[in-house]
Amino acid sequence: MATMTYLQAISSALRDELRADERVLVMGEDIGVFGGAFKVTDGFIDEFGSDRVMDTPLAESAIIGCAVGAAVVGLRPVCEMQFADFISCGFDQLVNVAGKMHYRQGLAVPITVRLPSGGGFSGGPFHSQNPEALFMHSPGIKVVAPSTAQDAKGLLHAAIHDPNPVCFMEHKHLYRRVKGDVPDGVYETPFTARVARPGSDLVVICYGAMVDVALSATEDLDGASIEVLDLRSLVPLDEEAILDAVARCSKVVVVDEANLTCAAGAQVAALIAEKGFEDLDGPVVRVASPDVPIPFSPPLEAAVLPGVDRVKEACRELLAY
Amino acid sequence: MSSSPTDVGGALVDVTMPQMGVSVAEGTIVAWRVAVGDTVTAEQTVCEISTDKIDTEVPAPASGIVAEILVDVEQTVEVGVVLARIDTGVGGSGAPAAPPAPDVAAGPTAAESSAGPSGSSASPPARSSAGPSDSSTPPPAPRAHNGAGRRYSPVVQRIAAEHGIDLESVPGTGRDGRVRKQDVLAVVNGNGSHAAPEAADPPLHIESPYRPDPVEPAAARPAGTGGAAAGAAIPAAVTSSGEGLSRMRRQIGEHMKRSLDTAATCTTWIEVDMSRVEAARKRLGVTALAFVARACVAALREHPALNAWLEGEKYTRVNEVNLGIAVSLGDDGLIVPVIHGAHELSEEGLAARIRDVAQRARSRQLTADEVRGGTFTITNPGQFGSIMATPIINQPQIGILDFEAVVKRPVVLTDAEGNDSIAIRPMTILGLSWDHRALDGALSAQFLAAVKRNLEGVGS
Repeated sequence: MATMTYLQAISSALRDELRADERVLVMGEDIGVFGGAFKVTDGFIDEFGSDRVMDTPLAESAIIGCAVGAAVVGLRPVCEMQFADFISCGFDQLVNVAGKMHYRQGLAVPITVRLPSGGGFSGGPFHSQNPEALFMHSPGIKVVAPSTAQDAKGLLHAAIHDPNPVCFMEHKHLYRRVKGDVPDGVYETPFTARVARPGSDLVVICYGAMVDVALSATEDLDGASIEVLDLRSLVPLDEEAILDAVARCSKVVVVDEANLTCAAGAQVAALIAEKGFEDLDGPVVRVASPDVPIPFSPPLEAAVLPGVDRVKEACRELLAY
Repeated sequence: MSSSPTDVGGALVDVTMPQMGVSVAEGTIVAWRVAVGDTVTAEQTVCEISTDKIDTEVPAPASGIVAEILVDVEQTVEVGVVLARIDTGVGGSGAPAAPPAPDVAAGPTAAESSAGPSGSSASPPARSSAGPSDSSTPPPAPRAHNGAGRRYSPVVQRIAAEHGIDLESVPGTGRDGRVRKQDVLAVVNGNGSHAAPEAADPPLHIESPYRPDPVEPAAARPAGTGGAAAGAAIPAAVTSSGEGLSRMRRQIGEHMKRSLDTAATCTTWIEVDMSRVEAARKRLGVTALAFVARACVAALREHPALNAWLEGEKYTRVNEVNLGIAVSLGDDGLIVPVIHGAHELSEEGLAARIRDVAQRARSRQLTADEVRGGTFTITNPGQFGSIMATPIINQPQIGILDFEAVVKRPVVLTDAEGNDSIAIRPMTILGLSWDHRALDGALSAQFLAAVKRNLEGVGS
């Protein structure tokens, strides 16, 4: 057990996998000699060599396409997108090639695509997005999004071991802000939800960076007992845990950092409307970024991203309903 | 509805500061048009209000007596604040409750409108129906209003239904007096002001369908089924209204069960083209059953192993064919008269005997000898269109032939040159249940093939 940041936990998982399994390789832009834009793979090239820590051209389609080919012949590539926003250039290889390979040809594609996502640091519209819902909508791809250092490591191990393409949404804002005790060695975190804090009057359902926001917003909210459910995995979505929380709390606030329309939380709200209807004591309330690009200006960005105050307000409103 | 009329708390309707537009948050009372104790009818103006957008009047949400006025003239309050309360209950004095009736009840208005145009002949019944409805109108009024005025979330409705709670009497602590989950749970737990003893003890609440514990102990089982195994309980009402089986039904049942327990019953089917039989029976004026009986008897002569009895390990081949024909006695059951010496009879002879025994069976005139000594049985329930069955062997015989409906079907015919063609033919499926203790499948198939050959060769 060691105390690590979220970023160190991701780094630790990659190093453990490279050491434990010779089929594992990492590839991406500037991840070798430079050690990665966020230094996740710093020093990797010295330990594992350039065959397993591959610097690639600035071409996401080529990175994912090569990874799919390597995976089909038995390797377990981990691709880094420098920013999650850039996945749009590799969309076809991921969604159409990797996602449909098993359906079309019965071939497993055990690739992991690391997607440094999210805003909160004045990254502007090209470096702050949360594209997870695009992949939730595409059959054949799993999507996970850790909120703690321990889950960042465990989910990355599980993603690399999984026989399917997995989008690993790592939140940039959490990289150095979140710290926690992380078990040593290889361990898997299941693709299920986690109760971050139990409660009974209302449940805030969220994932990624919004878990911290929800925890701070509801730590002491007029004495109400508020549960925070950390989804951890978006595909598969832990319906049982969601409906269980709804049954206990009956009031639900769903928080997304992503843009409101068709975000992951929309799927959660739809699920609750269909299968948790008889447990509801109020409307399912959503808090998310409005449907606008993420602004560069710090005050504008703070106004767009869901923060502690907005979550508090939503909870207060719903509690009073 | 059932709450007592003297309980004014259950029959009070709030008059609230209305929401006049999305941006209007508050309003000021300009004037009251009514005073405490006044009788009001629904939609009658109770006060005038002024907001920053418009001035307007507030209508009474229900008919009744003004019980309280809570906000004074010139006072400004937020949207949703209760301005006054109207008592919609029928008070002990009774007199003021009568006027609201025309406004809320469909009864009197319907009677009046129908009495006018429908003329003199229709008016007496219309008037007489108006009489009783007049006295019954006050109770529906509060329900009609309250039901429309308060809405409940799915979880509140579910909990209330499970515990038999009347939500109208549950005080709400949510926004605008909304009943929240906590409020209804407080009533369930006996903490609410409702605090009904039957709600606090759900299992004893007779009107509620809620049953908290599905694993009921044996004590709850009806006395009549006490000896039965758990889970086999038949509701008491069904057992008590049922009748014992008739003597004939019991005998048939025992006989059928004994046969299934005794014989190694196996059923084989064969398809038969009945074209020639259909032509011949019309010519001779007999039933198809007579032809099947004749063909069967001939096949039994060819395969005498089936014309036999098997009792325990004693197998007896019988020289004579004594053919049993199952005859339905309607609801009472069935009986199998036996045509002794059937091998000596032609189609016409068999037809006459079948007609004879069937008639006498139905008029209960058969002698004991006429239902004994059968060596093989034919059953013919096909008049309702059924096409296949698995008959039960009539012990101690070893075979029973089932003859069902004759149905026109497309069949493939092959001519002498080997050319195939499709033709419409009257077809039937003969089923033979046979006792595998006495014979094997090959023999039963040969027997059926012989019956088929005999039927398809009729008249040739």
